Amino acid sequence: MINLVWSGLLLLLLVSGCGFNGTPTRKNDLTSLTSIKITAGTSTIAAKTSLKLTATGDFSGLFHDDISDQVVWSSDTPTVAEFITPTIPSRVTAHIPGIATLTATKGNVSATFKLTVSAATINTVTITPANPTIAKGQTSQFVATGTFSDYTTQDLTFDADWVSSDPTVATVSNDPASKGFAQAIAVGPTTITATFDGTSGTTTLTVVAAVLQSIKVTTTTPTVLSLSTASFTAVGTFSDTTTQDLTGQVAWSSSSPGVASIVAGGVATTLAQGATSISASLSGVSGSTNLVVTGGNLTGIAITEPNVTLGANGITMLANTTSRFIATGTFSTGVTRDITDAVTWTVANTSLATVTSPVGKLVFLNAGAAGPPTTTIKASFGNVSTTSNLTVTPTLQSIAMSLASLNLHVGTHARLRVIGTLGDGTTQDLSANADWTSKTLATATVENNPADPANKGRVSGVNAAATPAVITASVTVGGTTFNPLQDANVTVTNQTLQSVTISSSSAVTSGNQVSFTATANYVGFTQNVTDDTTWSIDLANVAILADAVNLPGQVVGVSGGTAILTATFGSNSQAATVRVP
Amino acid sequence: MKRTCQILIALCLPLLFCGPVRAQHTGPYVGAFVGGDMLMTSKGSDNQGTFSLSYNPSLLGSAVLGWDFEPNNPVGEGRIELEYTHRSNQLDKVKFVQGEVKGSGNVIADSLLVNFFGVFHDRGPWAPYVGVGVGAARIQASDLKVTGQPLSSDSSVVLAFQAGTGIDYALNTYLNLDLGYRFFGCVPPKLAEANGSKFKMEYYSHNVILGLRVGF
Repeated sequence: MINLVWSGLLLLLLVSGCGFNGTPTRKNDLTSLTSIKITAGTSTIAAKTSLKLTATGDFSGLFHDDISDQVVWSSDTPTVAEFITPTIPSRVTAHIPGIATLTATKGNVSATFKLTVSAATINTVTITPANPTIAKGQTSQFVATGTFSDYTTQDLTFDADWVSSDPTVATVSNDPASKGFAQAIAVGPTTITATFDGTSGTTTLTVVAAVLQSIKVTTTTPTVLSLSTASFTAVGTFSDTTTQDLTGQVAWSSSSPGVASIVAGGVATTLAQGATSISASLSGVSGSTNLVVTGGNLTGIAITEPNVTLGANGITMLANTTSRFIATGTFSTGVTRDITDAVTWTVANTSLATVTSPVGKLVFLNAGAAGPPTTTIKASFGNVSTTSNLTVTPTLQSIAMSLASLNLHVGTHARLRVIGTLGDGTTQDLSANADWTSKTLATATVENNPADPANKGRVSGVNAAATPAVITASVTVGGTTFNPLQDANVTVTNQTLQSVTISSSSAVTSGNQVSFTATANYVGFTQNVTDDTTWSIDLANVAILADAVNLPGQVVGVSGGTAILTATFGSNSQAATVRVP
Repeated sequence: MKRTCQILIALCLPLLFCGPVRAQHTGPYVGAFVGGDMLMTSKGSDNQGTFSLSYNPSLLGSAVLGWDFEPNNPVGEGRIELEYTHRSNQLDKVKFVQGEVKGSGNVIADSLLVNFFGVFHDRGPWAPYVGVGVGAARIQASDLKVTGQPLSSDSSVVLAFQAGTGIDYALNTYLNLDLGYRFFGCVPPKLAEANGSKFKMEYYSHNVILGLRVGF
């Protein structure tokens, strides 16, 4: 019963809004024209001049309308004055002194206007505005005013002949439809002359450099995550229609600084979820565009070391070693993501350890010589921060390979790590500090470049072989060299690639970081090739790659929509749909 | 007038003997309705632009022939009917760019619809219903004028539809009083103007009706 009642009410509400209340665009040509009134600026003009008349129709007393272009104009004395301007039918031209009765007729309705043509002759012609300055590309409408022998003045803009002394600087129209209309072409001066019946008036028009008229602000990423950056571009359009990139010249501002701040150069840093307007201004001209920040507000930060579980007392590092650390943010929407490059890293005692950030989401903590053993490391963003104790120890107990064996396809790569057990029993990834060696270079190689600590231990499959390649590593501390109990055996095969598949660990929501894995399917063999795959996403407003170089396969949702994630492995490309609700 | 009143009173007398009962009629019925019809301000458009036409409310008359479904019908509780309705609204004002002016003439709509109503039967005599109808309508511009000047005298048959809701009151098993609301509309008809060009005109109306349905 109640459902039917509500259905009925809903129906009523739905239809109650109907009914046309828009603005009409059709003219009323049905109501009868009952009278016409002719008006003009004056009823007396000099011979050889002209006058524009207006015919206003009264439609049954209900409304009035300008019907100047609908009536038929005529003169009872064409020798005195007649209508001879086809493009402006309501303009009457005076020939000789006298009186003419002018008539406007539409259907059965007509009106008359008595025009007197005087014998006054022209004394002077004056052009206004006098000596104007306009910017290149701008326009100006000049008016010629004649002073006659009977001390009357009359607008001669239509009746004069207009000339520009230098049309390359500015042109002035002598076309009946636009007499006196000037257009600035190039910088410089030109003399504008209006001549009527042998008498001229002049003025100097000066054209200056084009002025900025508008600024357009654009960005390729109008929707971004909090704690990220967005670049904006400002392009100015000038009075001569030219455009110029003004990104480095304009003053940038954000209407909601709590949502995003912006610095010179147009790079905005997003601080919290919300929306703001990004503006660029220069010389009194401004433009703006909107920026939407998603992904929640930062509520907490956690410092972790990849591949290692931190001890109860915080971080312990071996003296004179380097390890990679990650800052993971927790946000108000319940999501987490890597914010390593967004936070500020601070070590309280920099003689004990320092922080380096080579690129992207890559941060290294560099432990110095063991001294006063404990300091703190802090990761902070705005008012949110976390601090961890950092202990530097001189003692290494042992090292071990992360994997005893590895299967690789020719041309692919995988990671081996050296995990050290420190004096206090905690562990540390010492891959960046180990000395890596492949005992079977023909089969597999291992990276060992001290200048590229992030890639130390990266194994490459070179040639297929029946016998596995042996990869080993050693760490030297205080003159003592530590070797793992067991080296890593790397078996390299060469099979036909059948397909590449992409899979994700979970649904991608706004602000959440999700891992996608690329798996190469060979005959009788599969391999995780996430690190060897080139990843790309087509719509950055929907989802982005967390860090294409240092976090392969990691995707972060930005805003609701659907994007295509493409994984290219060799010559094989595979696409997956990323849906952000 | 006096005789008409007497006849009306005589027709209504049997109602005094009707007690409110649960209406469980199944089968055919006929009905007659009268009501008020408010034709909404409509948008007219031709090759010169758009204008609006507003109308005076009017009365409407309607006749129906239908079938009440049996209780617990697998299709659902309700009825299906064929409805003929006549509406005629006087053109009041027409608005153009220059403003609003007086109009005259009538817009007449004769519609034939097939209605489907879902009815909620309770133990008591009241039974609300809601439904839709679809069919055709002949929309006639009858001597439409603007400030006395001819606008259109033409007609067109178009697809029509309506949505309705209301409440039945069962006087007895065979007699039902029906108070309802109908929203009626149609595809904008194209009508000829006096000057030879064509114009399209919206037609949507709100209607309140009161009638009697008799089952047999």
